[in-house]
Amino acid sequence: MLIKARIRMMYRYINLGSIKLAFIALLTPLIIAACGDSSSSNQTNNKIDYTKNYPASNSGTLIDAMTGEPSGLIAMIAGESAASAIASNIFNSLLKYDKNLELTGELVESWDVSNDQKTITFHLKPNLKWADNQPLTSNDVLFTWQKVTDEKTRTPYGSDFKLVTKAEAPDANTFRVTYAAPYAPALDTWAGLHILPKHLLKDQDINTTAFARNPVGSHYYKLEKWKNGQFLKLTRNENASQGQAKINKLLSRIIPDKAAQFLELSADNIDSMGLNPIQYARIFPARPDLNKNIALYKELGNSYTYLGFNLKRKPFDDVRVRQAINYAINKQEIIDGVLLGLGEPVASPYKPGTRWSNPELKPYPYDPNKAKALLKTAGYEDHDGDGVLDKDGKPFTFEILTNQNKEREMTGVLIQRRLNEIGIKANIRVLEWASFLGRFIKPKEFDVVVLGWSLSLDPDQYSIWHSSQQAPGQFNFISYSNPRVDKLLEEGRLELNPDKRMKIYHEFSKILLEDSPIVYLSAGYGLTAIHKRVRGISNPAPPAGIGHNTYEWYIPSAYARNEMSDH
Amino acid sequence: MLKYLIKRIFWMIPLLIGISLISFFIMHLAPGDITTSEAGFNPKASEESRQKLLELYSLDKPVIVQYSLWIKRMATLDFGSSFASHQRPVFWQTRDKDGNITLGMIQEALPITLLINVLSLILIISVALPLGVISALNQNQPTDRGITLFVFIGFAIPGFWLALMLMYWTGVQHTWLPISGLQSIGHENMNWFGQIRDTLKHLVLPVFISGITGLAGISLFVRNGMLEVLHQDYITTARSKGLSEKRVIYGHALRNALLPLITIFGLSIPGLIGGSVIAESIFAIPGMGKLFYDAVLMRDFPVIMGILTIGAVLTLIGNLIADLAYAWADPRVRRGVVQ
Repeated sequence: MLIKARIRMMYRYINLGSIKLAFIALLTPLIIAACGDSSSSNQTNNKIDYTKNYPASNSGTLIDAMTGEPSGLIAMIAGESAASAIASNIFNSLLKYDKNLELTGELVESWDVSNDQKTITFHLKPNLKWADNQPLTSNDVLFTWQKVTDEKTRTPYGSDFKLVTKAEAPDANTFRVTYAAPYAPALDTWAGLHILPKHLLKDQDINTTAFARNPVGSHYYKLEKWKNGQFLKLTRNENASQGQAKINKLLSRIIPDKAAQFLELSADNIDSMGLNPIQYARIFPARPDLNKNIALYKELGNSYTYLGFNLKRKPFDDVRVRQAINYAINKQEIIDGVLLGLGEPVASPYKPGTRWSNPELKPYPYDPNKAKALLKTAGYEDHDGDGVLDKDGKPFTFEILTNQNKEREMTGVLIQRRLNEIGIKANIRVLEWASFLGRFIKPKEFDVVVLGWSLSLDPDQYSIWHSSQQAPGQFNFISYSNPRVDKLLEEGRLELNPDKRMKIYHEFSKILLEDSPIVYLSAGYGLTAIHKRVRGISNPAPPAGIGHNTYEWYIPSAYARNEMSDH
Repeated sequence: MLKYLIKRIFWMIPLLIGISLISFFIMHLAPGDITTSEAGFNPKASEESRQKLLELYSLDKPVIVQYSLWIKRMATLDFGSSFASHQRPVFWQTRDKDGNITLGMIQEALPITLLINVLSLILIISVALPLGVISALNQNQPTDRGITLFVFIGFAIPGFWLALMLMYWTGVQHTWLPISGLQSIGHENMNWFGQIRDTLKHLVLPVFISGITGLAGISLFVRNGMLEVLHQDYITTARSKGLSEKRVIYGHALRNALLPLITIFGLSIPGLIGGSVIAESIFAIPGMGKLFYDAVLMRDFPVIMGILTIGAVLTLIGNLIADLAYAWADPRVRRGVVQ
């Protein structure tokens, strides 16, 4: 019986992915059809006019939904995105990114870099306080650094901070770090490290401490209640270091299923959720009743999808072949087909619109004739007339590998078709993540992968592109090796001046595009739906996205929901 | 009888060790571990840090060594702590030196799943029993065909689809029922009556969905059992004695037809702790199914093993109870056991 039950469970797991898709197919017509009888709806929210203008006020609760629950709120240990999403409302870092993704001070007023570029001195703002009214000083920063570099701390993010050879707190408002060699990504790493309170954690084991579920921070909000598996409720921190946020409370409900989230949004039980392209581009336009109360926002996402070649395998070691495949793939078709037009092509691994993205670079256009000509110079022609290109009697055929991700699978199919048109036969293989990584990526047993990288905020991408990073488990698994790129990546790490650094990375992106070790496919938009009762949201979104000024968002008291309501 | 019981209980120990050994090795056959999750594929997380994590969790040791470490802990009933969930205890709460209590993961998820499963079992029995009896009494007539068709539709309909349709109908179009979750947001501020009402309202759809899909098994079982019994000689005897049809059916036939159900209920005890991943995800219920599913995805070995072990123990206990109950209810079996 147990075994039967397990098999049944396994069966459920296997089907989860396909079931989701089937659901979309089944539900979409119904939701669209249902817009006709919205008159029968007896919702009270339909009677409220959400278009009136009210002055900003300090009130209201913003309810959003997330698919996963944080494991704890110490981000360096928890690691997952749900944890950082909540923790970043509770904890501060020394630095932060502003709306144009430039570094600026958060806990610090200013910072200086020494002439040899090895020492960074941070000057903390005066009179900083923790939510429990204790002073926040440079000792807390030093303590946090000691914890993140401690051998006993179970964090995967320690290595950047271990490059610090000396950390000191000469006075309560000054924190100084010295590196053995100039390390330009340092500032970015300090923007990502949440500062923890020494007075509460000094006698605790940071891996197991109850503090992770009952944190005390210094940012806009503090944790009021955490109901496991149900919700986390944050309330305004009266001692916040950055001033007071306008919305009283943030409530994040844990709803694993996107379809259920969407129903909750339609019923006005949550104010905000992340949408998928189908919901954004198909369901919303067909539902005027939803559009009346809910506004849609679109921002540049944080990642891009690419096709990566195994450069250790023939014929992908030949730049002409890589460029030919780049010309043969229609990127706009992928954006239109897979993302329903909700994405952009990219030509460098940096977020378009930020200083690191080289505006002169353009993606390879779709040009099958040029692709064929390039393949011909590389020796690939259809000698035997079977419709497949061949060289030395061997047909040009390979396998596109990707993990179980619907968007990547669909992308693979579109690529397969375009390659087929120019005489390349590609097969697609889809794998579960752990075996994909363990059996194919780590031992480099693949021809071509479709995968994604995040568009990093710091331009340093040494671990992805430097030729020294090719060992199993490291991130240059496509085995890219170019001495000029190596040199630029090394220089970029040593240069702390943003303008000089920008030139280095513009040059790096240019070589990368010419070399075409990967084909940039698309960068999808982040899509968010937010109820119109929430005001003060920047639209269109700046490079940092709509979330850059959440503390300025407000809910007019006339629109604040009644928390005692049944639902 | 007592000797038989003791023997059965002693036999459970090697069985349990065997089950845990097989589960442990199968779990390790799956590629990957806690450090190879998709979120871990982050250039900021270095290979050295991952090696360090593997050592801290003893995942760098051979599987057989890991198993002996696990069984050593299990001997003291220590289920260990989760890898993924900030070292939360897998089974029961722990108290740290400052008196902070951390609740166990199974401790929190189990009551929720049990409540839903017990409620839906009650629903299934109270509906399936009369349906089965009515079917049997009207064998091959339109009523019987209609009931069979109905329970099979319930069995075949995709639960997640029905769930979403009902959520849309009762939660969005009308505001009769909450859509997802276990409690409303203002739950704490309600009085006890309001709290119970609130929780029950949240449970209506999940219980209904799991009930409707489980109807077919039990009702067909009752129907066939009844049919078999109705053709027995003692039913003919009872009828020829001139007993009322009501006495014949409910006093004589049904009692005997229900005997095999005891076995089914005994065997469904372990099923009571297993939740459905899909239903729990759609209704946002933090139960056992979701816990197990997430643990498998994260390769959170202590949680997987904890749930499997508890499942195995309950299965063995369920079998034992079913056998004992059967012997208690049926003198023929009892005599066989004693001899």
